Amino acid sequence: MVTTVVAQEVTLKNKLGLHARPAAHLVRLAAQYKSNVVLVKDDTRIDAKSIMGVMMLAAEKGATLTIECQGEDEEELLAKLVQLVEDKFYEE
Amino acid sequence: MDRLQVGAFFQDMRERLGLELANSPKGLSRFIIQKNLHRPGLALAGFLDLFAYDRVQVLGNTEIQFLRSLIPEALAKSLERVLAFDIPCLVLSAVGAFPPELPEIAEAHSICVFTSKLSTTELSQILSNYLDDKFAPSLVVHGSLVDVYGTGLLFTGRSGIGKSEIALDLIERGHRLVSDDVVMLIKKTEGVLIGTGSEMLKHFMEIRGVGIIDVRQMFGVRAIRLQKRVETEVELVDWDEKQDYERLGLEDQYKSYLGVQIPYIRLPIYPGKNITVIAETIALNLHLKVYGFHPARDFNRALMETILDKSKVRSYLEKDYE
Repeated sequence: MVTTVVAQEVTLKNKLGLHARPAAHLVRLAAQYKSNVVLVKDDTRIDAKSIMGVMMLAAEKGATLTIECQGEDEEELLAKLVQLVEDKFYEE
Repeated sequence: MDRLQVGAFFQDMRERLGLELANSPKGLSRFIIQKNLHRPGLALAGFLDLFAYDRVQVLGNTEIQFLRSLIPEALAKSLERVLAFDIPCLVLSAVGAFPPELPEIAEAHSICVFTSKLSTTELSQILSNYLDDKFAPSLVVHGSLVDVYGTGLLFTGRSGIGKSEIALDLIERGHRLVSDDVVMLIKKTEGVLIGTGSEMLKHFMEIRGVGIIDVRQMFGVRAIRLQKRVETEVELVDWDEKQDYERLGLEDQYKSYLGVQIPYIRLPIYPGKNITVIAETIALNLHLKVYGFHPARDFNRALMETILDKSKVRSYLEKDYE
């Protein structure tokens, strides 16, 4: 059982925030990995492999999210997810 | 929720309590940090030890009449003394005439004063319920909550195992969806767990390969409900030959959320297994248990009686040497 968690805080940079398309990108990426991923916004923690959960956050531009990965490929996944946010979900 | 802004409270309860703001909106940015109410009668009279200043202060007829009986200097002194504390807001119930110094001095300390025509008892009750709700411990879980024959079944399990598909199948059969994918659990009172969906996701669901669907539009208002007591958790797990699954159901398993224990069932799934019918069975079985029937135990009792009878006959016949 892997118990360590890697986490990083990110700030959303794309204009429309985490709407359906970016959410789908994020979930699709997370689903390719074995690790569990949790997105934290304010007090809400959701499974990043659940698209409805990610959209529920209704995260706007400038919002801060914490990405927490846990599992065998946690480091790689976290790096990819942070990159995706930095790349503004390939939107702009 | 850890704290509630006075402005949000005012917006929520304005109509219900007929609240009116008696001074400036400066204090609307303050926070209410706990659910209890306080009547500051003793504090106004000068006894400030143990003054629960961090609660919403409700001033009823008694407090107001007391303040009106004071001479101006004493009134100002009393109010200054009390309002110097970090009070979230004041609510005057059963409001008649009150000393104008009250909202004025409160304003100087940036504390809002609200008035309501409701009686103190009525106001306290409504306000208490509202704050109880707002400050109830809550938790977001990943799963689907469906009302099956009146029983709240919470389906959990790894992402992609088919929770939404089971929920959809149950809806098809006339059961009601509370929330898919994300369920907010709220501990309303001791031992009662209420599940609800998020405001955003209300009755939308994602079906792999299809996309987002709107259950309410598709199946109508009969297929949904806004909240439901969570009565059993059904965790869907991948079938694994090496694992040991429940065969008898003699012992009930439980799981705990926010300190509330709910019955818990681990359900192995594999292609072709009709989980929907099993879910209905789980719900009906729970009903039976609530009404005092426990199928596994009842069956075992009958089995033990039969075994006992048989052994009586056997021992009788064994002694029979005719």
